[in-house]
Amino acid sequence: MRLKKETADPEIPTSSMADIAFLLIIYFMVTTTFAATRGLDFSLPQEDKEQPLVEKEESVLIEIQPAGVLMVDQKRMALEDILEYLKPKLERNPMKPVIIRPLETTEYGHMVAVFDEIRQAKDKIGVEVKNVSIPTQREIEMFWY
Amino acid sequence: MKIRPRSVQNQGIPTASMADIAFLLIIFFMVTISFEVDKTQVALPKTDLRFEIPKKAAYISVTEAGQIRVSSGEEISVPVPGPEEVLSFAAQVVAADPSKPFVLKADMNVPYRYVDRVIDALKQAKAEVIYLLSEQQTVDDEST
Repeated sequence: MRLKKETADPEIPTSSMADIAFLLIIYFMVTTTFAATRGLDFSLPQEDKEQPLVEKEESVLIEIQPAGVLMVDQKRMALEDILEYLKPKLERNPMKPVIIRPLETTEYGHMVAVFDEIRQAKDKIGVEVKNVSIPTQREIEMFWY
Repeated sequence: MKIRPRSVQNQGIPTASMADIAFLLIIFFMVTISFEVDKTQVALPKTDLRFEIPKKAAYISVTEAGQIRVSSGEEISVPVPGPEEVLSFAAQVVAADPSKPFVLKADMNVPYRYVDRVIDALKQAKAEVIYLLSEQQTVDDEST
């Protein structure tokens, strides 16, 4: 007796392809996080132990106290008023040093807000603040006292 | 006269191109996905000015409680006990690549003394540039 051979279907089954693809999409959508990849650049001076970079008396000192209270040259000032205060000084001396000094307990966000404001000087008052420094506590102890 | 029966339209939604669309979306996600070297959850400060951070920059994150994690930009960040270790880490990174940028990813509410020690360690290690990681300031943020 002759048996009839069963012929296998030569096609690749692709009906589940869309399901697999959508599973992968869901995986990528769930695991993707939009990372913050931008920030304020801050160039560090190369350390020179011979002499301090900035003379305290000739500079504008912005002290940042906790809760964002700003003392500019010993006078209390709002963040929006700093650039107007700096404008005549910078017009006389474009290299006028500006020192940002946050206190130890000040929240970091307030320091960034002040630095951001000063970096926008050219757009807001038309004069760039070229000489900004944020001395660390160690540098203050070494050079100021 | 004999009237031809009306042609019956197929009621099904065509799904033949579904897989193509799905694979296009997969390719999009695969190309755009970037693996973060540091996944520390921090509330970033908000700024108006923001510049693009170079790829492969070294990361230093500081949480609100002052915990520090570091990454050279090549591998996942690891915790370090204190700022002294940040100095040795930064010195190694700078020795390998003197122009390597550092990214400071610090919580906006962390007391500045923690950040001060990290910046001081980077200055001592002779790092050239630090990026203070931030989020975009919006009009709503400014009014609050």
